Amino acid sequence: MDRTLIAAAVMAAFAVSAAAQDKPAASPPPAWHQGKPPAMLESTLHPFAPHMTGRAAKELPIDKLKAPAGFKVEVWAEGIPEARSLAIGDKGTVFVSNRISKNVYAVIDRGGKREVKTILKGLNSPNGITFSKGTLYVAERDKITRYDGIESNLDNPQGKVVADNLDPDKQPGHFWKYLAMGPDGKLYFNNGSPQNVTMPTYIQAAILRVDPNTGVVENFAQGVRNSVGFAWDPKTKNLWFTEHGRDWLGDDMPSDELNVAPRAGMHFGFPYCHQGDTLDPEYGKHRSCKEFTPPALKLGGHVAPLGMKFYNGKQFPQEYQGNIFIARHGSWNRTVKQGYDVLRVVVEGTKVVKSEPFVTGFLVDEKGDPPMWGRPVDIAVMKDGAMLFSDDYNGILYRVTYNKGK
Amino acid sequence: MKRIAQSAAAAAVALFIFGAGAADPEAGKAKAQVCAACHGPEGNSQNPTVPTLAGQPEQMIATQLYQFREGNRKDAQMSPMAANLSNAEMNDLAAYFASVKAAPPKHQTSAESAKLGPELAKKYNCTQCHGPTLHGQQHIPRLAGQQPDYLRAQLKGFKASTRADMDGNMTSAAQALSDKDIDVLADYLAGLGG
Repeated sequence: MDRTLIAAAVMAAFAVSAAAQDKPAASPPPAWHQGKPPAMLESTLHPFAPHMTGRAAKELPIDKLKAPAGFKVEVWAEGIPEARSLAIGDKGTVFVSNRISKNVYAVIDRGGKREVKTILKGLNSPNGITFSKGTLYVAERDKITRYDGIESNLDNPQGKVVADNLDPDKQPGHFWKYLAMGPDGKLYFNNGSPQNVTMPTYIQAAILRVDPNTGVVENFAQGVRNSVGFAWDPKTKNLWFTEHGRDWLGDDMPSDELNVAPRAGMHFGFPYCHQGDTLDPEYGKHRSCKEFTPPALKLGGHVAPLGMKFYNGKQFPQEYQGNIFIARHGSWNRTVKQGYDVLRVVVEGTKVVKSEPFVTGFLVDEKGDPPMWGRPVDIAVMKDGAMLFSDDYNGILYRVTYNKGK
Repeated sequence: MKRIAQSAAAAAVALFIFGAGAADPEAGKAKAQVCAACHGPEGNSQNPTVPTLAGQPEQMIATQLYQFREGNRKDAQMSPMAANLSNAEMNDLAAYFASVKAAPPKHQTSAESAKLGPELAKKYNCTQCHGPTLHGQQHIPRLAGQQPDYLRAQLKGFKASTRADMDGNMTSAAQALSDKDIDVLADYLAGLGG
């Protein structure tokens, strides 16, 4: 089982389907391929793969990156292949995760030079990381582990399992997790839809939470096809989360979503209703969108919103306080590509007031293959109020700073 | 003392990271001398069981070296070759082999495969990812002119779910292939030039 995770997942899916039928001739599609209608069988749209060995910033058009007047975008660290989720320690250590690769890295700023250390190796899709009270929590495919006192133990981290058996069905797709510590002291994580669009079990297509002290897992929100980003509004303590809509219903349908869940037990529609107003052609029969909570904001078809954070730093102008910043990884299931940016969203209570692109420039040819040279994944706010975001396509972290004088 | 040793190691890491420049085909060419023993001059293989690297997409070469180093893909000859390569070295090698032109194939496709091959390549969705001319793109390999025994072995490996596959696509696509289909496709693809 030490081949790549996705291949292993696909094999597991084959084992099931092979047992279920006598003829092995039928070709079970990869998870992303599932749900493709006959009319789209010859579509050449495909997901993009990151450069697994990373790319150097100096071979990339970094100067194409644009932010509003007064803001500056620069490369902060590179050489972190497949840089995914971000977490920042009390002492300023920047932790970075992998999804396809198996490492967790620590980036330490030493007087303007950044040292990249691989602190954990051989993990099982360790996409989710979060830091709280001296502890780094890491969500792998099947378990969540805590590393106490991590910033004093970067060379020899000691892990204790908080919860395991989180992927009992070895689902073929959307098994990587986002992880964040809630204001209630519980760890929140997603467990996505096993394929593009299928009927989920109770712990699939959901946001779950676990009490790190007891290991008790609860279902917090259902009908969430896959969320790979969430955060709590510091003012209202409401959970906001991004969600990827299903594929193969066309360029603009359905929209990906920004949702708000002020309480546990809400259902956000998947697989019955998409974007709050459109029934699924198959699963939506006999259902109504009125049964489900609609999104707070439609983010656009296939833009792939990933990590998000509320800005609570001291550096950006006052009007940015409490805004949500969302990393949009960018579309693949769309003939004209969009996304590949950092989006700013202004919220008031449970309502979205406005949204606009904040950092752009990765998308260079909306009909190209590939159309972009980098893909934002997660956001973090640094101690000095600068914003950091990761790019898994190249293995680079970028910093956004604000200077009033300019 | 331990602290000093640690910070020295840290400095070495930092130096390594920030000393890494853009992928350099010239540096890759120098490192590729050892590859020629099996993969042939300038990565144009003369051995039907060993793949041609010349003219492959850059990202594909780096990805496969990575797969060997990480142990996802295993081969008695290649695994030890990749075991100690850094990411930067892989990128240099990738840049070099991508910059070399693939030699016209020496393989002669049979008349039967020449007729059936294009139909199978469409039927089994090869052209959807590998491109209409089967020259590959991004992390997806060029198939045109690839060595026939190598192609056959990979397709059989995907079908048996023993060949590492980053996204599951090839493992899936190969399930429907009969042994005859695999023979025809390998014979057809190996003779494709351009």
